[in-house]
Amino acid sequence: MFRCQSLEDCPLDEDEDAFQTLGEEDEDIDQFNDDTFGAGAIDDDWQEAHERLAELEDKPATARELEDGAVSDEMDLLGHHEENLAERLSKLVIENELEDPAIMQAVQTQPPMQQPGGLNSSIWDGSAVLRRIRGPLLTQEMPSVSVLEYAMPQRPPQGQEDERDLSERALPRRSSSPVIGSPPVRAVPIGTPPKQASVPNFNQQILCPKPVHIRAPMQQRYPSPYGERMSPNQLCNVPNSSLLGHPFPPSVTPVFTHLQRAQLLGGAQAGRMSPSQFARVSGLVGSPLTSMNPKLLQGRVGQMMSPASGFRAFFGAPPPPVPPPSQQQHPPCPGSHLQNLRPHPQMFRPDTTHLHPQHRRLLHQRQQQNRNQHRSLNGSAGDRAGHRSSHQEQLRKDPYANLMLQREKDWVSKIQMMQLQSTDPYLDDFYYQNYFQKLEKVSAAEEMHGDGPKKERTKLITPQVAKLEHAYKPVQFEGSLGKLTVSSVNNPRKMIDAVVTSRSEDDETKEKQVRDKRRQTLVTIEKTYSLLLDVEDYERCYLLSLEGERPALMEERKQKICDMYDNLRGKTPSQERPSDDHFVQIMCIRKGKRMVARILPFLSTEQAADILMATARNLPFLIKKDAQDEVLLCLLRPFSLVLYHLPSGTVTSLLQQLANLPQSATAPAPANLHLAAVLQNKFGLSLLYLVLSRGEELQNSNAATELMQDNQWTELMSMATRELLRIPEAALAKPVSTPSNLLSLFSRYVDQQKLNVLETKLQLVQGIR
Amino acid sequence: MNYMPGTASLIQDIDKKHLVLLRDGRTLIGYLRSIDQFANLVLHQTVERIHVGKKYGDIPRGIFVVRGENVVLLGEIDLEKESDTPLQQVSIEEILEEQRVEQQAKQESEKLKVQALKERGLSIPRADTLDEY
Repeated sequence: MFRCQSLEDCPLDEDEDAFQTLGEEDEDIDQFNDDTFGAGAIDDDWQEAHERLAELEDKPATARELEDGAVSDEMDLLGHHEENLAERLSKLVIENELEDPAIMQAVQTQPPMQQPGGLNSSIWDGSAVLRRIRGPLLTQEMPSVSVLEYAMPQRPPQGQEDERDLSERALPRRSSSPVIGSPPVRAVPIGTPPKQASVPNFNQQILCPKPVHIRAPMQQRYPSPYGERMSPNQLCNVPNSSLLGHPFPPSVTPVFTHLQRAQLLGGAQAGRMSPSQFARVSGLVGSPLTSMNPKLLQGRVGQMMSPASGFRAFFGAPPPPVPPPSQQQHPPCPGSHLQNLRPHPQMFRPDTTHLHPQHRRLLHQRQQQNRNQHRSLNGSAGDRAGHRSSHQEQLRKDPYANLMLQREKDWVSKIQMMQLQSTDPYLDDFYYQNYFQKLEKVSAAEEMHGDGPKKERTKLITPQVAKLEHAYKPVQFEGSLGKLTVSSVNNPRKMIDAVVTSRSEDDETKEKQVRDKRRQTLVTIEKTYSLLLDVEDYERCYLLSLEGERPALMEERKQKICDMYDNLRGKTPSQERPSDDHFVQIMCIRKGKRMVARILPFLSTEQAADILMATARNLPFLIKKDAQDEVLLCLLRPFSLVLYHLPSGTVTSLLQQLANLPQSATAPAPANLHLAAVLQNKFGLSLLYLVLSRGEELQNSNAATELMQDNQWTELMSMATRELLRIPEAALAKPVSTPSNLLSLFSRYVDQQKLNVLETKLQLVQGIR
Repeated sequence: MNYMPGTASLIQDIDKKHLVLLRDGRTLIGYLRSIDQFANLVLHQTVERIHVGKKYGDIPRGIFVVRGENVVLLGEIDLEKESDTPLQQVSIEEILEEQRVEQQAKQESEKLKVQALKERGLSIPRADTLDEY
């Protein structure tokens, strides 16, 4: 009914005339275009197309305007057109934001959060709507009264209605309260949507009654509980102010509190976030059946609007049939209003005339309750217990509780959750994850020991999100020049079309050969390190992965380990046996040495043995290079682990490498420089001990086997012992540890006298340690 | 027990009585009514409490909207233990007077200190004006 009417009034239609006058100019422009691009270059009429697009833009707006009409009020009359326009624009923006797949994804995948209230956040849930509208206001007192009752007030007598209209359509008066800066009485919540029809007819008023002027009499507001906007000085100046005695005076007038709450509620609905906007948001969030169809949504928004207007109807309900005579004429100014009211002992009563009778009755009841409560509070001020119980009662009956709706709480949590979202928390939030793992380990250990009461740890709720690839597709209009894109935070506008071209491996290697070798080595180390980190992470991935993916993961891991080894050895597929040069280069760099120590446990036995051999072969050189860093020692542990798995043959050849003997050579030159250098280094000597000790173990375990190798071993042993004997005591390095079975080992190869010498030498070494 | 990230964890504290210490040193006590993701707060039935020695006074402030960045600390007040304080409540005028006296004394001593330092050829950076509270 009134919707059609408002369509006619739509200001957009007035623009039609302006378009007509512009038409002639457009002809000229077409001519220019033809001149520029050639006749027929622009076949379709751009103007027409533009108009069509413009219409598309306008339609949703008008539709929304109509819906807004349902909850309209005097804003239009007050000339707040611009404000509404801005609001509508912001709505459009929000709408776009929400259609953004990134946000949708975030919003939809929210885990259900534990909420204290347990209110269903979905707007479309009928009961939630009712609850929301009743809100904190009515939940306690009138659970049985449906909102619909308020939405359809009885028809009041015509004359009365008109009278009310006149008074209510006036601008909201600023309060002329004696208290400076006391709140102006607001008739209209800020930012409510506009009303279309300029002269509302009777029908409309029933459907969408105006919000009521809230006429809290001055005296009530005056001692309003906490001196809302009073400065302390003013408070002090109030003579005999009850405030001075106790901070929360008992003179809380329930009428005021209710009305104020209504204001606040109205403000919450209309001001902070326009209702439709909010509905849209939480609708998308809460309801799984909400598709991205905006039309569907609009329909729903329309639906939810009517209860909202019902809410206002509740306040705007016509006065009761027989109002007190003194209230019939509304005083023109607040001052006289005040005078009028003062003499009445029960001030709240006259002022509830505009309320629904039932609500008024409830207000009255409640006020008396409150009064009783306050009386008891004041009466037993000294009584602690009474005080406490009344405190609790107050808390329970807190009339301002739940001012923040469940929806709004959800909104805040969602924003926070969105910030925490990550597809891979291990990567994005490494330190927190590790810290928490450590904490859990500690608490688990405590539980194992069973000491102390079990402490409950607080845990941050982090949203879990499935990984979703989101490819950015700019919105484009066909036939538009350039790129028209809609950009947002999540979809930033693409500024450059850069193409990444990866150069071929050949180019790289060629270039690198030109550069100096050291840099190449450094690059290799870096590359290998990233491989190493990947490999180290595989364990975690493996636990997280599904059963089906695991073989592939294992394969990948194996490949990466092979790559690491190849990187270390500088192996290319064509080369069969690589030279040690590359490996030595890596081992000359501190980071490289550390890396080798970390890689070794991952390598297969053969690969590890090869690394070990290469190290032994080049040990004197490496020792010389390690003089400054002294990190070779970090290799000892992984080496000993590897040694433990090696067969005797490999151990023998390792010793051979350490002694720098050709594979089948007989007794070497008297002074073995290679071995001497090894013995004079801490790492070298420790490694030698390790090898000897391992050899001894092997000898003991299977003495009979491998006779041929035994011979070689014996030969090597005697040579090593000879070298040990020859080297001066002072030159001998201090080993990290001396294996316990060394003496028995030496006893097999040297006579007693020499053994004693060796013993003192070694023990001396141990003593110094 | 689990908690929500960021300021969302405050949601559970809504409608409870809280003490908020602001960056400028003021102490507010009121019912937390609303929050947002920036920890902007809406306090209701707020009083500003001034402590001087063993005395304190409450200045009613009504509804107080606090910009989140100004919150130093915030905690719930146990209503049961609230009145257990050994402090003595005095009237607003009295506490304001006490505060004034205290500040004056502080300024005096500060001045003396600066002067003493000056005589010894030392200088200390100007005390932050915010410290006066």
